[in-house]
Order: sequence, then C-alpha cells, then structure tokens
Amino acid sequence: MRIKEHPILTFPEKKKIWFTFNGQKVFGFSGDTIAAALHALGVMTLSHSLEMKRPRGFYCAIGNCASCNMIVDGIPNVRTCVVSLKEGMVVKTQTNKGDLNDI
Amino acid sequence: MKANIVIIGSGISGVSIAYNLAKKGVKDIVVVDKSYISSGSTGRCGAGVRQQWGTLMNCKLAKSSIDFFEKAQKILKYHRDIEFKQEGYLIVAEDDEEFNQFKKNVKLQNSVGIPSIQISKDEAKKIVPHLNLDVIHSATYCKTDGHLNPFLMTDAYYVAAKKLGVKFYFYEEVKEIIVSNKKIQKVITDKHEFYTHKVVNAAGGFAKEVGDLVGIDIPVYSENHEILVTEPIEKIQGPMVISFKKNIYCQQVPHGAFIMGRSDKSVEKNHDISSTWKFLDEMSKTAVELLPLIGELRVIRQWGGSYNVSPDRQPIISDTKELAGYYMAVGFSGHGFMFAPMTGLLLSEMILNEPTSIDITDLHIDRFESENKTNYEQSVV
Repeated sequence: MRIKEHPILTFPEKKKIWFTFNGQKVFGFSGDTIAAALHALGVMTLSHSLEMKRPRGFYCAIGNCASCNMIVDGIPNVRTCVVSLKEGMVVKTQTNKGDLNDI
Repeated sequence: MKANIVIIGSGISGVSIAYNLAKKGVKDIVVVDKSYISSGSTGRCGAGVRQQWGTLMNCKLAKSSIDFFEKAQKILKYHRDIEFKQEGYLIVAEDDEEFNQFKKNVKLQNSVGIPSIQISKDEAKKIVPHLNLDVIHSATYCKTDGHLNPFLMTDAYYVAAKKLGVKFYFYEEVKEIIVSNKKIQKVITDKHEFYTHKVVNAAGGFAKEVGDLVGIDIPVYSENHEILVTEPIEKIQGPMVISFKKNIYCQQVPHGAFIMGRSDKSVEKNHDISSTWKFLDEMSKTAVELLPLIGELRVIRQWGGSYNVSPDRQPIISDTKELAGYYMAVGFSGHGFMFAPMTGLLLSEMILNEPTSIDITDLHIDRFESENKTNYEQSVV
C-alpha cells in the first residue's frame, strides 16, 4: 500500500526499480528502502526470530533492531530498512543467523 | 550471627570455595557480596578456559580445572547446560622468538598431561579457515581447551552451595573486620555482624582493599580490561584464537556472537571499568588483521572489567603468617574464572588443614618476599 493522496504533500511518479525477492521479479520505486518496497508489496514477514523461528516484520525502521535482516546480493544480516533499493538487487529471506562463508 | 567462615565475594572463586567447604561438611558458611552474584570480574570475563600456560603451576591448576568442568554439570547436579564447549584454543606465534617460547611451553604442558601441540600455519588454517596466514608464523593448539558460560557456571556452584546450606548475603558490603588477640573476631557489614574466626578474601578487583581491612598488604592491583561482542552469526570458528604479540583473544561463543578483548599497556591501576573509543578502534583493527572475515560483523556492545594483577601474573591462594584464619584467593591476573574449581578445592583443603591436591607453596603470598624466586607468567593477554 502506498499513500497516493495527501492534503499537503504531493507524490510525483518515480522511476520503477526492478529487483528479485525470493526468486520472484518485483518492483519498487526510486527512493524506497528495500524494506519499504517489500512492505508496499504486502510482504509483512522479513525475518524470523533465532530461537523460536517466529515471524518478524518491519519494526524500528532505523537500522537498530535487526527485525528486517535479510540476505541482499549474497550478504547476510543486511538491515533492509536503511538500505536503498537498487536495480537488479537479489533479496532473500534469511532463515538462520547468517553465514559469512556464503559471502 | 555466628558463622564458621565468612567468604567475601560471590564471583566464581567465592562460590567455588563455599561449595567445596560445604561439600566437606563445614556448616554455617556465609558468603557476602557488596553487589550480586558474578557482578564483578567473573561476569565480565572472556568466557575462555585454557590449559596452555607458560608456568608449571598455572598448567597444573588449569588441567585439573578443565577435568572438573568436563563433569561439572553432573557433579553439581545443575538443571541447565553450562555451555562448556571444548573446541580448543589456537595460540598463534608471530615470529621465531614466540615459536621458540611456545616450543618450551608445549613441552611443559605435555609434561603434566595437557594435550597441546605445535603446528604449522597451514595446519592452523585447517582449524580456523579464516585466519590470515600473512601475519602469523605458526601456532599451538590444545583441543581440550574451550568455552564455558561464566554466569551459568557461577550459578551452578551457587545453587549447589545453597543446597548444602551455604548462606548468601547480597548487596551487603563488609565495612570492618574486628581482630583481637591476633585472631579474627567479627565481620561487620552495613547490614549484619557475623561472629567468626575465619575470613576468605575472594573479592576479585577489590582484593587489596579487603586485605587492608585487616592490615595485610596484598601486592595486587586492579586494571581495566575491555571486551566487545558482535552480532551472532552461524558458526565459523571452533577455537578461541589468541596472539600475545598482537594482543588479542577472540572466540565465537555457542550463541554465535564473537567475543574479543585486548589489553591496554597505558591503562591506569584503579577500579575503572568504563568503555573507550580507543579500545573499539584498536580492537577492531587487530581482529580484522588476524581474522579478516569477522570485519563483516557489527559490534553490539562493549564493556570493561577488572584484572586483579599479581606481581608474577599467577594467583595468590594462601593463608597469612600475620593473622591466623585469614585466607585469600586473589591476584588471578585475568584468569580466575578458568582456575575456579581448583581455587575452591585447594583453599578448602588449606582451611581444613588437609594435604592439598597440588603442592601450592609457590602460590603463597610469602613468595614475593624474595625477588628472584618468582616465576613470571608470560602467556597473558
């Protein structure tokens, strides 16, 4: 969901940015963070708690809480709420603590 | 209140001494701490347990302590896993000088049954694949060294000691120890008075002050040693990696986080335990040089804790000739956690006039009276 109308602000149309999320080709808009783009696409589960594997979603939105950690272009534990979306990014849900050997 | 013995300090040494005494049947044991259990150096330590030392005494203390840790959960009947992980310590040598020193150390360690080995840097890389071989010469490795959770280990002793009847008094500071006729009569805290003839100084960073309470000058001082911890990741490192020359110890704990520390030569002798930018800066540079891959990790938190340092970097486990009934387990110089099982056993034997499991004449406080007699421990970060 995105805000389209606002009494004061205007939302000029921005450039589409295509990326893949868990293998699926999707898009956000220029200026989005990765997490914001996913949120707008209706993706509510960004990560899972380490012990109980419970779903974790968009939370602090300022890069502090680790709730949005995902694998981006092969790098684990990327705080997607503070990383700008770029064309062709490969974003994956992370199912473990993150493996540095994958880098 | 009457007590057979008052132990000052509820860090790992204090609870181990209390447990060992209680197990030998001593009644009315009191442990007093001005804060809470493991609130001092124990809870701030690097959580490593090793046997690779440069003095015979430290080797013996460490070996017997590891033997205990292997069975600790069962012996103490603790309801939780104490997170004892034996995946070794890898101590890297930077040059020929260290290589030669380590050769002697390994020979010494092997002589008391410690299974350490000296290995090439290629062999070291098989054990820790992300080691930067460009900055090391060789290494030594002991597979039975490892990690142990300080909070859980201390709690295990605490729970076992309580079951045996030991009484703990937290948030209570010892203010005065009354001595008359060369005998301890009373320990006065800010809340209680304990009538006792025996006192154990297990006060960690405040060991010297607890010595001053009875006019015994213990030649120890405290200094701040800082640590940091990173975010957790999947396991990539089994052993603790140490370099004395590079000034670093670094391990991945079972939870997945990396804990690392180094010492600061310019640190002042006091009770400061604050965190500094300088440490964060130097620590991260050192870690990334030796183990480049962990540079990818974020630092979560840093903290400081006191090393209680003795002149020869070996503990003082001792009674005193000046005052009968005054005992101490102090000056561990950063390694009180890993020696704790033996600290408790040896001191309980000494207090009960039993023959000690290891000859600890060399750990007596009197050793510092003759300058040349002491055997300096070099293997310390």
